[in-house]
Amino acid sequence: MRNALVIAHKDLRQRLRDRSAIVLGLVAPLAIAALMSVAFKGSDTFHFTMGVVDVDRGPVAAGLLKALDAPGLRQIVTVKTIASKRSAADAVRAKSVAAALVVPAGFSASIEGGDPLSLVTLTSVNQTVAGDITSSIATSFIAQLNADRLSVATALAAGVPTSQSAHLEALAAGFQIPERAVQRSIGAHKLKTISYYSPGMAIFFLLFTISFTARSFFVDRAQGMIERIRAAPVRPLEILAGKAMSVLVYGVASLGTVAVITSAAFGANWGAPAAAALLGLAMVVAVVCVTALVMCIARTQRQAEGISSIAVFGLALLGGNFIFLSSSPPVMRTVALFTPNGWAMRGFTDLSTIGGGLGTVAEPVLAILAFSVVAGSAAALLARRAVAA
Amino acid sequence: MRAIAIARVSIRRIVRDRTALFFIVVLPVIVILIVGAAERGFTTFRVGVVDLGAGQAGRQLTTAFEHSSDLAVSRYATLAALRKAVARGELNVGVVLPSGMDVTEGRGGTVAVGVMAEQANSSQQAAATAVSSVIAGQGAKVQAARFASVHGPGTFEENLARAGSLQPHVAQVGLRSQTADSSHNVLPEGFSYSAPTMLVFFVFLNALAAGASIIETRQLGMYERMTAGPVRRGTIIAGKTLAYFTMALLQATLIVVVGGVAFGVSWGDPLAATVLVALWALVGAGAGMLSGTLFHTPEQASAIGPTAGIALGMLGGCMWPLAIVSSTMRQIGHLTPQA
Repeated sequence: MRNALVIAHKDLRQRLRDRSAIVLGLVAPLAIAALMSVAFKGSDTFHFTMGVVDVDRGPVAAGLLKALDAPGLRQIVTVKTIASKRSAADAVRAKSVAAALVVPAGFSASIEGGDPLSLVTLTSVNQTVAGDITSSIATSFIAQLNADRLSVATALAAGVPTSQSAHLEALAAGFQIPERAVQRSIGAHKLKTISYYSPGMAIFFLLFTISFTARSFFVDRAQGMIERIRAAPVRPLEILAGKAMSVLVYGVASLGTVAVITSAAFGANWGAPAAAALLGLAMVVAVVCVTALVMCIARTQRQAEGISSIAVFGLALLGGNFIFLSSSPPVMRTVALFTPNGWAMRGFTDLSTIGGGLGTVAEPVLAILAFSVVAGSAAALLARRAVAA
Repeated sequence: MRAIAIARVSIRRIVRDRTALFFIVVLPVIVILIVGAAERGFTTFRVGVVDLGAGQAGRQLTTAFEHSSDLAVSRYATLAALRKAVARGELNVGVVLPSGMDVTEGRGGTVAVGVMAEQANSSQQAAATAVSSVIAGQGAKVQAARFASVHGPGTFEENLARAGSLQPHVAQVGLRSQTADSSHNVLPEGFSYSAPTMLVFFVFLNALAAGASIIETRQLGMYERMTAGPVRRGTIIAGKTLAYFTMALLQATLIVVVGGVAFGVSWGDPLAATVLVALWALVGAGAGMLSGTLFHTPEQASAIGPTAGIALGMLGGCMWPLAIVSSTMRQIGHLTPQA
């Protein structure tokens, strides 16, 4: 054990002298996280100006304007009255409004007839959110009008004389749809971009440790360093353990520092500290095991560089460090769960949104450790060959 | 002529390196596939439904969701599981059918169907709109049945069946959507977004990483030995630049072809696209030469190169559309060649 510690200490000192280790372990993830924080500042809330054209000027249009003035909508929409449909289209093109809603002439009168007119939304292909919300507001308003029309039609079909249809229409206007969609709290924090990509980038750059350590192992071997160490009473597994421990310390320091700085400076939410620390530690252990495996599989420095580069980018892409995989097709979400970083990203996402403590990360931690056991066992089996080669 | 010979040797070395080939050929295609699939506009919204004991009314509403062509419905056993799926972004929207929906409707009350969606999320809002429409359509039948039972003959159940059969035939007040601004100034979703952005991203990133080979060659003293012969320094630089330009052009062409053939990406006017791609390959060659000149060790090039490439890619809109960032960040982004 002491031998492994000595090797780990030497490797760490060597690594810290190389400024590129500081760049990858600290500067790069912090720089990227800072960039993301600035890029998405202010994008967590959404507000837009909607143009409204009331050519109808009837009672139904008045009802719509009143509905648009509801306190709940004011947080999202500022309504701007525009005289004509053409002016509204110009305003959308000029970006002075993000979308517009047009109540055509004769709309109110047409509601009571057999061929009702339609409301019109004017949208921009470059402002899809505003267009969607405008459609959503209009759809909600129209739903009540259509329910009233169906009520009258059903009463007439049930046997109420047609002569009473005007009376029925007046009565139906007092009814409300008895099933309503009500916004319900998700019961979780919103997943902020910075909260997803801070661990994402920290883990991505942590994966680079695989390349660096594997490379340094083969450089040592080429220089006869490993042979000289073996001349001393040091077992092959101790050499690998020493290398692995240096990765562990470096990884924990890198991940921990990035977590503290991104939380304090950029408002990233890594979740409960104990749970985040456990998850981070499990991820570092997985990186240690993958590093050991790469060192044992590769036969030359060139091979080690190739295998580790492919492992780094393969894991980062499949695990979702670059791309928010939750909204991708289920098959990609399933594939992500075959990677330790995919589980880590899921754990950090849950900690940031749902919250909780150790219970939240129990499953991801166990999955990452299972991956580590498989990779570590394979490395242990091949260790003698790697060191003896 | 000597520059061409130097370029040929450099290209041969890159082509023999299987790792380099992985990054030049395989990785960009995989990334186009992954990013394209992740960014693709879904034809249906993913809706999760949890039934807290809504009874027959809840089952009818769930069936109505399932019959909607806009929605892909998954059922969840618990509210916690539904919340987790929405919080993770696995669902566009979560629907909570409250307990006693039947009883509430039977008593003439109003049922609040919970809809979980974030207001600032476009796909979630669009999904919530689609869900609300189905709820309103189902609710309209209940209102009609209740209205007809109060103001006319027949029981609630009879009138509910009547309203259901009448609904498709009663002329509806519609909503027409017109596009006022049809000229896209943002990239479309899916592969048409991922292919061009990943071309820009990877050609630049690979060129930066390739700078390490200049450093290794320099460390081996190869350049010094070359200048001992009748080769000028300018010729060596021209040869290396030509090699980087050729590799960047080959990679870009591969992405254009794979994007067009396999993923149906439209690259626009062929001449303009060719000029742009060639120009970008030149930018890549310049970045590679700069990386090889500025950095002293291959480790520096491998550490700082990807970081700079990723950062510039982010600023320039390779990782996310610049349309979604603030106008200040958009302007700063346009200081990078990537934008």
